[in-house]
Amino acid sequence: MERRPTLYAVATLAALVVTPTLSPAARDTAASAQRRGGVQAPRFQVDPFWPKPLPNHWVLGSVTGVAVDAQDHVWIVHRGADSLGNNEKGAILKPPTGCCVPAPQVLEFDQAGNLVSHWGGPGEGFDWPQSTGGITIDHKGNVWIAAAGQASGGAAGTARPAAPRPQDAHVIKFSRTGQFLLQIGHAGKVEPSDSKSGFNRPAGIRVDPAANELYVADGLGNHRVAVFDAETGAYKRHWGAYGDKPDDAAVGPYDPNAPPAKQFRNVTCAAVSKDGLVYVCDRQNDRIQVFQRDGRFVREAFVSKTTLGDGSVWDIAFSHDPQQRFIYVADGHDKKVFVVRRETLEVVTSFGDGGRMPGQFYGVGSIAVDSKGNVYTGETYEGKRVQKFRHRER
Amino acid sequence: MKGKRNFYIGASLVATLVALFIGQSALDRTTTAAGKAVVMAPRFEVDPLWPKPLPNRWYIGMTIGVAVDAQDHVWIVHRPDTVSANEAAADQKTGDCCSKAPPVLEFDQAGNLIGHWGGGPGQGYEWPESNHGITIDYKGNVWIGGNGTNDAHVLKFTQDGKFLAQYGHKGKTAGSNDTENFGRVAKIFVDPKANEAYISDGYLNKRVAVIDADTGKFKRYWGAYGNKPDDKNLGRYDPDAPPAQQFRNPVHCAELSNDGFLYVCDRPNDRIQVFTPEGKFVKEQFIAKRSLADGSVWDIAFSKDAQQKYIYVADGRNQKVYIIQRDTLEVLTSFGDGGRQPGQFYGVHSIATDSKGNIYTTETYEGRRLQKFVYKGLAPVTKQDQGTVWPASSSK
Repeated sequence: MERRPTLYAVATLAALVVTPTLSPAARDTAASAQRRGGVQAPRFQVDPFWPKPLPNHWVLGSVTGVAVDAQDHVWIVHRGADSLGNNEKGAILKPPTGCCVPAPQVLEFDQAGNLVSHWGGPGEGFDWPQSTGGITIDHKGNVWIAAAGQASGGAAGTARPAAPRPQDAHVIKFSRTGQFLLQIGHAGKVEPSDSKSGFNRPAGIRVDPAANELYVADGLGNHRVAVFDAETGAYKRHWGAYGDKPDDAAVGPYDPNAPPAKQFRNVTCAAVSKDGLVYVCDRQNDRIQVFQRDGRFVREAFVSKTTLGDGSVWDIAFSHDPQQRFIYVADGHDKKVFVVRRETLEVVTSFGDGGRMPGQFYGVGSIAVDSKGNVYTGETYEGKRVQKFRHRER
Repeated sequence: MKGKRNFYIGASLVATLVALFIGQSALDRTTTAAGKAVVMAPRFEVDPLWPKPLPNRWYIGMTIGVAVDAQDHVWIVHRPDTVSANEAAADQKTGDCCSKAPPVLEFDQAGNLIGHWGGGPGQGYEWPESNHGITIDYKGNVWIGGNGTNDAHVLKFTQDGKFLAQYGHKGKTAGSNDTENFGRVAKIFVDPKANEAYISDGYLNKRVAVIDADTGKFKRYWGAYGNKPDDKNLGRYDPDAPPAQQFRNPVHCAELSNDGFLYVCDRPNDRIQVFTPEGKFVKEQFIAKRSLADGSVWDIAFSKDAQQKYIYVADGRNQKVYIIQRDTLEVLTSFGDGGRQPGQFYGVHSIATDSKGNIYTTETYEGRRLQKFVYKGLAPVTKQDQGTVWPASSSK
């Protein structure tokens, strides 16, 4: 096993330049997936120098979504000024008190980590989210953003906007340059889990290119997966846990010792694999549920089942191999990424830990993979980063 | 290994350029009076992988003190009670990660955690309500301040955390002219020559206080310009008003140079004031004078050359470190910017240097990191604001 030569250039240089005593083993514990009992799994290495520093003294707020497009550009959406304390946005206060400026909420990076475009904010014909959820770039290159905010509140514990704002209940489609194309649902028009026209704080969105269908994880308020035509926005179908009819009745706090809940709690992702299975993040139930495209239940698996609080299954991404043999699960509560074998839904290994250093996490809630197998993560709460984990070729 | 080769090429280029600039500078001085002299300043690069991850799935909170001891071990003090429920999920029993680390942590040069202690009250002393500032004196003892509402004292421990002394008592403050207690102390500096402790006092008081480092006996104290301190509320800092005749709160550092000048951080007044050890005012310098709210001058550290030619100023409001020429107090350059990536800051609060000239910073608020900036020698100043200082080799 040739560990040393597989270290990527940047980390090697960093070690040469600044950490002569750092051993590869130490870095492995921080940032790479490990083998267990001879089981093969992808290995990763954090790149502490990706992306490059933002221009204009821009800083990120809570990052709620990350996606990779066909050119391997990496897109993130973050909550901007509302999620930043006055101490980090001094330049926009009146009077200004010091550094810095909230970055535009949608940012596009190239593979080298350069910021290549940025947009976002209110505009004509659409309701900019009061608090963003996930982002996805569809097979046509369009950008979808889920609007996941609660009425009149920003992220917990952060500065709140002065004027109350309506609850988010919609998803928005833009061109890659930020031109508005389509909106499903409307801000303030909260609709329940049987709605054909709106949502309640949708969290995650993905487009199935094979059928040109939009899958909405709906959401932080509702308890369903909803499917729409990605071109027209026309409603197609929806379902709840186990493929049943969703029910919005309160189910109380999650109890790991109780029989599995018959309904979703927070639904935060719905991603379609190449072989046509829909993987749903039932976040606070600590589980992935798998369905056929038509909503027929296939199976489920719990991940870190004893996790309480905001739950363990926040977002998923598929590995880059044609078979998509692995699923990467972002667990914002336990501050790690699980590597799960897709066929069996068994956890093979995990990487990450709590903290503010490279390769550590606070609120890792979104995840995406590029064509080379590199993993990108977005951190919400006070994590406020996008990080890159390089896939290590054997 | 292409990267490695590039690095060496890069390094030799830098060396050549430096040599060229030095030569050029000397030439300029000798040949043309109109030629602009090249200003040299220490250059730094962040080490993104220092320190090593903490053991035991420990998490640090607001990190409000850093110091380096005689062995070049790096000490920090943080506030475990600021770690949120989401972060301390293992303590809350809602998940596996993580737990609050003990407040005092010691790292070796390789970044290994080699010591940890502190927390609640013990026999004979009152642990601060809110930890603030750490220093290791020339005898190897560890001093800690506290800026909690009732903190009016400083504590002294051995490096193993054995209690040695407490000066002042919680809840007993009587203001800036009290000679027994303090008022929410930010930091302590111990002068090895006179065995005196300089107390940055503080978040409530508006003075520098000097005590005997062994007995705690009060020796002297003074306010801005060496005036008698006055605790009257000064209102908000106004950069266009005449300079305030008193310190604003917090008085955030008081550090004595080898040649016997005391540099005081008057944080919300955006200035450094310089005194003799007896409290005679020497001069002052404003830094980022338009900075409002919590101010620009948070903490200072001296460069490690014998002359202490430079001062490094941590500015937690503008998320940067200034490099200042000590004899003129002129800002030569700065590094850092807002953000959560290596070399960026959020609330850079404390700063210290080791014997090799490396800089260590800690961040409060939601920054909550200990970062190391590796000293790379003197280099020509090409930018006033260097931004994020990554190794040159990191840009592919």
